[in-house]
Amino acid sequence: MVFPTLDFVLFFAVVLALNGLVWRSAPWRKAMLIAASYTFYAAWDIRFCGLMAGVSAVAWLGGLNRSPIARAVSIAALIATLGVFKYFNFFMLTFAQLFSSLGLERDLQWASIILPVGISFYIFQAVSYVMDAHRGHIEPRRNPTDVFLYISFFPQLVAGPIVRAAHFLPQIDKPTAPDANARALAVALILMGLFKKMVVANYISVLLVDPAFALPDGQNTLTAIAATLGYAVQIYCDFSGYSDIAIGVALLLGYRFVRNFNQPYRADSLRNFWQRWHISLSTWIRDYLYIPLGGNRGGPRRQNVTVIVTMTLAGLWHGAGWNFLIWGFLHGAGIAAERGMRGAGIRLPRALAVLAVFTFVCLLWIPFRAADFAETTDFFTALVSFDGFAPVELSATVWGLIGIGLAMNWLPLSLLSTAEIALARLPASLQAAVLAVGIWLMFAAAQEGVAPFIYFQF
Amino acid sequence: MTDNARFSATLFAALAIAWLLSGDRFLDAVFEMMDLGQLDDIVIAGVVILEEGKASLGLPDIFSALRGAIHGALGL
Repeated sequence: MVFPTLDFVLFFAVVLALNGLVWRSAPWRKAMLIAASYTFYAAWDIRFCGLMAGVSAVAWLGGLNRSPIARAVSIAALIATLGVFKYFNFFMLTFAQLFSSLGLERDLQWASIILPVGISFYIFQAVSYVMDAHRGHIEPRRNPTDVFLYISFFPQLVAGPIVRAAHFLPQIDKPTAPDANARALAVALILMGLFKKMVVANYISVLLVDPAFALPDGQNTLTAIAATLGYAVQIYCDFSGYSDIAIGVALLLGYRFVRNFNQPYRADSLRNFWQRWHISLSTWIRDYLYIPLGGNRGGPRRQNVTVIVTMTLAGLWHGAGWNFLIWGFLHGAGIAAERGMRGAGIRLPRALAVLAVFTFVCLLWIPFRAADFAETTDFFTALVSFDGFAPVELSATVWGLIGIGLAMNWLPLSLLSTAEIALARLPASLQAAVLAVGIWLMFAAAQEGVAPFIYFQF
Repeated sequence: MTDNARFSATLFAALAIAWLLSGDRFLDAVFEMMDLGQLDDIVIAGVVILEEGKASLGLPDIFSALRGAIHGALGL
């Protein structure tokens, strides 16, 4: 079940009503939200509910037992689970190729496994729960339903934001009934998220990005640049749109999530970009990977190695492939180079720094989007090829969508605040009417069919 | 009735209005929804009865008209 579908609209309408009915009883409220979350997840594949329950049980037990061995075992079990589901097929394919090269053809298709949607996100939450319990940042919960709800809560279940236990668990005990301001923010976020996903991201994908990447050697410089910009806009609108909807949906149920995107293409350094892009994952990587690997300890050389290793691992988390490895490594190397420049006292004017970071990030989206290394090199070749044999048509609609996507990164946030203030002044029934009419308009403007979110695959 | 209850009630009313003014869209969407196993037949039978009732009212399909206007104007 994905957000911009009638399935979800009906599902959420029922959950919102039930949430109001059981609001005063904590046990019933938790039970209802767990049942709703498992129903939401079962819509993909009911078998994966068992996996999510198992992950939640491991996190609950790992948090309860304070011994370092218990922590190590539970973290190892969680990471191993993630590793098996994410990389098993890659290793089987490698084995098949190895056998084939030795003249021993083996069909290992029978051994392939499906990647459960959202597994990375709920395992990351489970790991942070165990680590935070052992670090003393949270009091581990004796009641398993608290941990099961924390891991499975449906608004953030499949693509984040990655919610920290310290932030979420107190809200499980005492959620905040949405007031006029919270409802206004929720309505604004849900409508903005739907617009980003259903209109900007989906159309730019179909009209520009998918055809250009399907035939990279057919593109010329202009269409390749447009497709690169288009993908930068698409992934931002797709992913931040999902986060906006998730935050808005949670807010209507009485739960506050932290902001996950903050106009990332305005960043004036790569470090700043990662402080603005998928903030909950960036901070997770910082706290549970970068700092344990050494963080800012040691001299500049040691710090640079740590950041490059961290970013390379973050790249590999997206998938086992050279493209993701190169993407992560170059982001790490870029951050290390920035540190070197700062150390040498080299500072670019802000406008130039923003342009440089944006260009660097856009160019690195190419290997991230391309299917393999060959497609990546074809696409880079197209960037300097003046005569593509089958360039994608660059219509006014395509440029308009790119412009809207970029504008969302540049328009002052006070515009959103103005809309929120205006919405907050409306009575509750009118706020709901605005939401309903807005959703109706988005469905009318959208393409036929359901386009999954990009980050579901991770 | 609290503000949040009013909010939920309005959403349900809006959903009903959207259904009334959306032609066969909801029926199409129900057929595309996840397989509910044995429940499917009951759900679809119920939805078909509701759709027949709606058709007898002769309401306009405003959703399709709106969709055509938006797509035509924006070249989508």
